[in-house]
Amino acid sequence: MSKPRVAIFDFACCEGCQLQIVNMEEELLDLLTHIEPVEWREAMSESSERYDIAIIEGSITRQQDEERLKLIRSRAKVLIALGACATLGGVNKLANGFDDLNEVKKCVYGDAARMPHLLTGQVKAVSEVVPVDYSVHGCPINAEEFGYVIRCLLRGTTPVIPNFPVCVDCKMRESTCRFEYGEICLGPITRAGCGAPCPAAGMWCFGCRGYVDEPNINGARDVMERYRKTVDDLKSRMALFNTGQEQPHA
Amino acid sequence: MPIVKYITTDQLLVWVNALIAAQTVYGVQAKEQRFAYDALADAADLRLDFDVTILPPKKFFQPLVETIMKFHVDGHYESVTSEEPFIIFGVHPYDVVAIAQMDEVFRANYADTHYLSRRERATIVACDIQNASPSMFAACMGTATVEDGFDILLTKIGDGYVVDVRTAKGEALLVALGDAPDADAGTLARREQFWDDARRFLNKYLLKCKPTDLPALLEDQYEHAIWEHNAGLCYSCGSCNMVCPTCYCFDVQDEVDWTLEKGTRVRKWDSCMLRDFATVAGGHNFRRRREERYRHRFYRKGQYLWQRMGQIACVGCGRCTTACTAKIANPVELYNTLMEG
Amino acid sequence: MTESTASQDIYLPMPATIEESKLLTAVDRFFRIRLSSGAELGHMPGQFVEVSVAGIGEAPISLSSSPDTTGVFELVVRKIGRVTDALHALPQGSPVGIRGPFGTTFPVAEALKGQDILVITGGIGLVPVRSAIQYMLNRREDYGEMAILYGTRTPADRLFTDEIEDWRARENVTYLETVDRGDEGWTGNVGVITTLLPKVEVSPVSTRVIICGPPIMYKFVIAALAARGIPLEHIYVSLERRMKCGVGKCGHCQINGYYTCLDGPVFNYAQLSDVPEAI
Ligand SMILES: Cc1cc2nc3c(=O)[nH]c(=O)nc-3n(C[C@H](O)[C@H](O)[C@H](O)COP(=O)(O)OP(=O)(O)OC[C@H]3O[C@@H](n4cnc5c(N)ncnc54)[C@H](O)[C@@H]3O)c2cc1C
Ligand code: SF4
Ligand code: SF4
Ligand code: SF4
Ligand code: SF4
Ligand code: SF4
Ligand code: FES
Repeated sequence: MSKPRVAIFDFACCEGCQLQIVNMEEELLDLLTHIEPVEWREAMSESSERYDIAIIEGSITRQQDEERLKLIRSRAKVLIALGACATLGGVNKLANGFDDLNEVKKCVYGDAARMPHLLTGQVKAVSEVVPVDYSVHGCPINAEEFGYVIRCLLRGTTPVIPNFPVCVDCKMRESTCRFEYGEICLGPITRAGCGAPCPAAGMWCFGCRGYVDEPNINGARDVMERYRKTVDDLKSRMALFNTGQEQPHA
Repeated sequence: MPIVKYITTDQLLVWVNALIAAQTVYGVQAKEQRFAYDALADAADLRLDFDVTILPPKKFFQPLVETIMKFHVDGHYESVTSEEPFIIFGVHPYDVVAIAQMDEVFRANYADTHYLSRRERATIVACDIQNASPSMFAACMGTATVEDGFDILLTKIGDGYVVDVRTAKGEALLVALGDAPDADAGTLARREQFWDDARRFLNKYLLKCKPTDLPALLEDQYEHAIWEHNAGLCYSCGSCNMVCPTCYCFDVQDEVDWTLEKGTRVRKWDSCMLRDFATVAGGHNFRRRREERYRHRFYRKGQYLWQRMGQIACVGCGRCTTACTAKIANPVELYNTLMEG
Repeated sequence: MTESTASQDIYLPMPATIEESKLLTAVDRFFRIRLSSGAELGHMPGQFVEVSVAGIGEAPISLSSSPDTTGVFELVVRKIGRVTDALHALPQGSPVGIRGPFGTTFPVAEALKGQDILVITGGIGLVPVRSAIQYMLNRREDYGEMAILYGTRTPADRLFTDEIEDWRARENVTYLETVDRGDEGWTGNVGVITTLLPKVEVSPVSTRVIICGPPIMYKFVIAALAARGIPLEHIYVSLERRMKCGVGKCGHCQINGYYTCLDGPVFNYAQLSDVPEAI
């Protein structure tokens, strides 16, 4: 069997997820014995129009990006969304929460906001533009999980990605729950698989892996009362990664 | 003749350090604001004054993530079991009871060699409860003190500990202790008094019935409004199961390494509160609604396992109550509500 | 049931080989499997095995052949997920791992003997039931009247079409079938399985019923049988749940207080009448 040709494309993102892959070190060499990288700006310069697996990093912000993505999809047998920007729209999607995009741009880029390459429309996750076969969640991704997903693909099977809340990982790690510190944590509605590094490091989970299926958002609203918190407290936490996803009703 | 010694706190430290030098010792240690079992490097880290650990000592017999076999895709499978002996220092009575229950679960019908091999190689140094955890109700469940199920039991009396040795495995640890006097009658009388108090007072919540009344109580409460009401708040996050010393459900998954030919079959803790626990291929979920899962857990604890093995599958540690961010997992509150009808 | 001693790993599969693999329908594949040790599997109708594909996982699959077929055993696997996809992709001669047999059996050698037998099955439910049918046909004189009712979604979904013709041809078996939706070539019954029930004689005294099919089938069939006076304890059902161990440990297969893998998959329906999660 010839090695599958793999191309990585980046859209609007910090490229931190690709960095996680580059940092896989020895595992990266293992990976390279099974695949042939054909387009990967961060690690090599050659570019190609033939590939079996396309890995998309970043969110889709401009019309020409949508066209480029559709072209990639039409060429690839398998398309993987890599990292929160690609799977959710990521931090970039915060922009959608503001009524006036120009305000955001001015705030971020100052006077440069009028430059043509910054003409951004609504920020979209990859799956809002083309069908996605597999998602590697997280901001940044967990390199171990990325390796697992790739190995599953190479074996011709579907990866098993957790569909339960981060609390499971967090309990396994025996972190003291952020709620015990009087903080709000998005762990109970966020998809596990990261190993809950944030609560272990003393931070609440900010939901970078997106929601589990059927998150109990309205339950979360009622639970806030039990901690004397408000729905707005909760919403402000959710904004970072879940803008555009389901929100609690006030 | 049972061996019952009395040692000072200093002697305890020396003893534990001697044990650490000889073999793997796990003990209760502080972790952030809470406590957890971990490998002991120094007896000074041992915190026998703990209230409750985040995860129960079950994690040493049924590890969170456990490789149960190795395989090659050519069809060769090889069992992986742990042979390493170890000591667990500081197991509270309710957890001793829970371990005995898990022993029965893993022995029943088909004996689970992975669990049993670890269990047989463990020496359990139990420790009577010096500080009650915020949500416990061990006295209600009859688990505030224990008669057996451990190798050694430590009870803090005055400035020292009564060391009550019950098994040959326990005796083997005494070698490292060196000379220590037998506990005198006065000390033993104080221990009786301590136990008496523990059995009466180690409750932060009061269950309004005997634990053995729970199976009958649950008989007519399947449609009670509380299930749906509380489940409205439930995240299906599984925390209540993960921390429970009498939960043992697991998932099994295969993982291949980068050769793509060799790999391991691992089992991981699982939880019946999670959405897809009873989902089958094709998408049908036999416990689709949150309240069905929420109810299942309390029936498991209060009735189903009783029907199978004559024990209530809750030892009153209160871990689930603390762990539940929605504050709906407390078995006492739930069962008391059912009793009100 | 196999006894295990503490030295045996209950999770360790026995090596085995796929001797034959062929498609029965677009999604159902037949497998004939031989244990590498040469030993007999030693199952009874109704039981299942856990089938391993190394690197993918394990899935519980019913034994479809009767114990009278020696040296090998037969399975039918519907392609629906990770393990079942992988099984379909394995060429003949490939290794698989087998654990079992596990679970309870249709009481063909006990309670069903001397009784009139009514088998009601739908879709892939025929797979475990076929083992019992073969067993009883091999000992036809041990049973009274025998009727088999089989329903599928379309004619293309019918399994074991050659064997079905043999059942239909037998004088001492009533074989009736139906499809939810016919096609051009179909001249048989169209309608759900319960439409076949009025066509067979049943006796509240001597009829014993075996039911196995998709989850929605049970409720209607059992209600129809009850209406005709069949006592619950004369009905045997085979149920399916998610499974991860097959040996009563992992908790996934629970139906209220029962474990499908230990207490089932075959249940006497009287056991389940006050078990709300069962049907
Ligand atoms: C007693 C019994 C007998 C069965 N007999 C047959 C049979 O003869 N032929 C057949 O095609 N199917 C049978 N099934 C269903 C079959 O087990 C599932 O279709 C299969 O497990 C799906 O696995 P998967 O890995 O392909 O699917 P995935 O969706 O990838 O499932 C992952 C894992 O979940 C578990 N799981 C998922 N669905 C089921 C399920 N329906 N039942 C039990 N566990 C499940 C398994 O451990 C499985 O490996 C039977 C199930 C049971 C319980
Ligand atoms: S800290 Fe967050 S993720 Fe961890 S248990 Fe608490 S709520 Fe869940
Ligand atoms: S804990 Fe939450 S924020 Fe942190 S990595 Fe996991 S999902 Fe992302
Ligand atoms: S149900 Fe709760 S209180 Fe009871 S043993 Fe489990 S964690 Fe402890
Ligand atoms: S309560 Fe749930 S997770 Fe715990 S042992 Fe029972 S079924 Fe398993
Ligand atoms: S009861 Fe509480 S801890 Fe348990 S799953 Fe629901 S929210 Fe999580
Ligand atoms: S399949 Fe694991 S308990 Fe039944």
